[in-house]
Amino acid sequence: MGAAMLQRNPETVMLTARVKVWDVFVRLFHWSLVAAITVAALTGFLADAAWIRWHIAAGLAAAGLVLARIVWGFGGPTYARFADFVPRPAALFEHLSEGPRHRGHNPLGGAMVLAFMAAILVLAVTGLALLGGVLKTGPLASLVSFDTGHGFGEVHELLAFALLAMVALHVAGVLLESRRSRENLAASMLTGEKEARPGDHPSRPVAANAMAAAAVMALLAAILLAANASLASRPIPRMPVATLDPVYAEECGACHMAYHPSLLPAASWQALMAGLEDHFGENASLDEETAAEIESWLLANAAGTADTKPAHVLARTAEANPFTLTETPFWKHVHGDLPEALFASKPVGSASNCAACHRDAASGLFSPFAIDVPSPTRINKETQQ
Amino acid sequence: MKAHLLILPALLMASPAFAADTSPAELLARYSAEAGTAADPARGRELFLANHSGGKPETPSCTTCHTDDPRAAGKARTGKAIDPLAPSANPERLTDSAKVEKWLGRNCDSVLGRACTPGEKADIVAWLSSL
Ligand code: HEC
Ligand code: HEC
Ligand code: HEC
Repeated sequence: MGAAMLQRNPETVMLTARVKVWDVFVRLFHWSLVAAITVAALTGFLADAAWIRWHIAAGLAAAGLVLARIVWGFGGPTYARFADFVPRPAALFEHLSEGPRHRGHNPLGGAMVLAFMAAILVLAVTGLALLGGVLKTGPLASLVSFDTGHGFGEVHELLAFALLAMVALHVAGVLLESRRSRENLAASMLTGEKEARPGDHPSRPVAANAMAAAAVMALLAAILLAANASLASRPIPRMPVATLDPVYAEECGACHMAYHPSLLPAASWQALMAGLEDHFGENASLDEETAAEIESWLLANAAGTADTKPAHVLARTAEANPFTLTETPFWKHVHGDLPEALFASKPVGSASNCAACHRDAASGLFSPFAIDVPSPTRINKETQQ
Repeated sequence: MKAHLLILPALLMASPAFAADTSPAELLARYSAEAGTAADPARGRELFLANHSGGKPETPSCTTCHTDDPRAAGKARTGKAIDPLAPSANPERLTDSAKVEKWLGRNCDSVLGRACTPGEKADIVAWLSSL
């Protein structure tokens, strides 16, 4: 093709000389970010609790990439620098009305890059606040309450939808601009090269200061890791009581696992303790003294005293069954997709056997990181025995 | 001496409600004396294996939870395993009079809809310890 052009118009060849626009870091950053956001979006919007680790890892990776890119925006070569693409409002309007071609990000594209960076960083922070407040883990666990974490979760979700819309706009912009300027912008993000054309918007050439940028990135990473370690070591307020009262564990753990007191509100425990003679179709009565001891311990550690997710969501009990965990609307909602046969299978036995699937059931935490549903092959093997 | 060495850690590990204060033979003697008749393991077996209709519909029989072999582990309606009832398979059984009273009180009410008589308790203890 180059040879054909040469014959027809020798000038074109000279004019379409290709120049390096996207350095290797910018390209790696771009496509790694695409991968990280894809994983975070798929696991966040579509996958169940088992994928939450991947979601968090992908989100943190995206935020780390953005932070590194911000450093590169000050230390990278010409077109990587913020100075080249942070748009002035006037330039935005100029670009919309067919202004000069930009080799780096055009003003609209530059604005989108900034919006992406801001959205991804805020998504990471709101995600960590959600993780800390609701699941009581991660660097913000000691700082954020359940309610606040829940609020951050709503922002996180809204922003995630906004990010999807931004990705759609970005792709549409790339397609439109590729047509308008008759070049494949996506391909140049792979090769790093673009045509140099006469009349291109001038950019002031600067060399990358890779060593300094790498040093700043390393420093930033060290600061964040140290902050994470120091925050993670702080005590988390209003955690559920750590050890079960031995009398409770013995008496209320005889027929099923001893349910953590933070799973039900005080009024539910009172109602349950008042009806032990007919407890779910069985007589579970206790002598008065033991019953009083157990009841006062349950009330002292009931849902109202803990700030965990189960203590909030399971506390909204079903009106007709004020102390049946498996009848609460939340329980039914999250377990609704699990097959009936799974609960009846040998390793589980019944829906009330929380510990069969939740490794941390005894603690009352019910973290999505600690769910191990017995596998179907194991179930089939054991029920056949 | 040897026996003490074994019992001590067992006591330390056991839950506070577990206090070995009796033996199957003592229990049998006490319930028989209360009943004023001799215990009959065959009657105990029959009561244990039969389906009853007076109790709660969920628990028609002792075997609902303990299976028809008390030397084997049973299973509560919640799926939780229950250690074997027969002292030959589980030496902790029938050694804590308060525990035996508590569970017979509950389980007879669940299965029969009433308390077991001392004679029935003697029969059950006799059968379980004969296995
Ligand atoms: C004699 C056996 C027995 C004893 C003792 C017992 N329970 Fe239960 N409990 C049951 C059964 C059976 C169920 C119903 C489980 C099912 O549906 O799978 C149940 C259910 C429950 C539930 C609801 C679980 C669910 O499925 O949502 C709670 C809460 C509970 N029990 C608390 C207690 C407490 C507190 C004590 C101690 C005071 C206690 N239980 C003692 C037999 C017992
Ligand atoms: C057969 C396995 C199984 C049993 C039994 C079971 N769960 Fe679950 N539970 C799951 C699974 C799987 C999830 C994740 C559902 C999802 O997000 O798709 C879950 C999710 C949850 C969650 C939400 C966790 C989170 O933060 O995302 C809570 C709380 C919970 N279960 C409580 C209970 C309680 C209480 C019991 C017992 C009364 C119980 N579960 C019994 C399998 C089980
Ligand atoms: C709803 C289930 C269920 C039914 C039905 C049931 N049991 Fe039990 N039984 C239990 C559980 C649970 C325990 C406590 C097990 C433990 O401590 O390991 C128990 C304990 C006992 C004990 C106490 C043994 C000891 O010394 O530790 C005896 C005796 C007993 N059952 C006899 C019976 C008899 C007789 C019947 C029928 C009248 C019966 N059970 C019916 C669930 C049941």
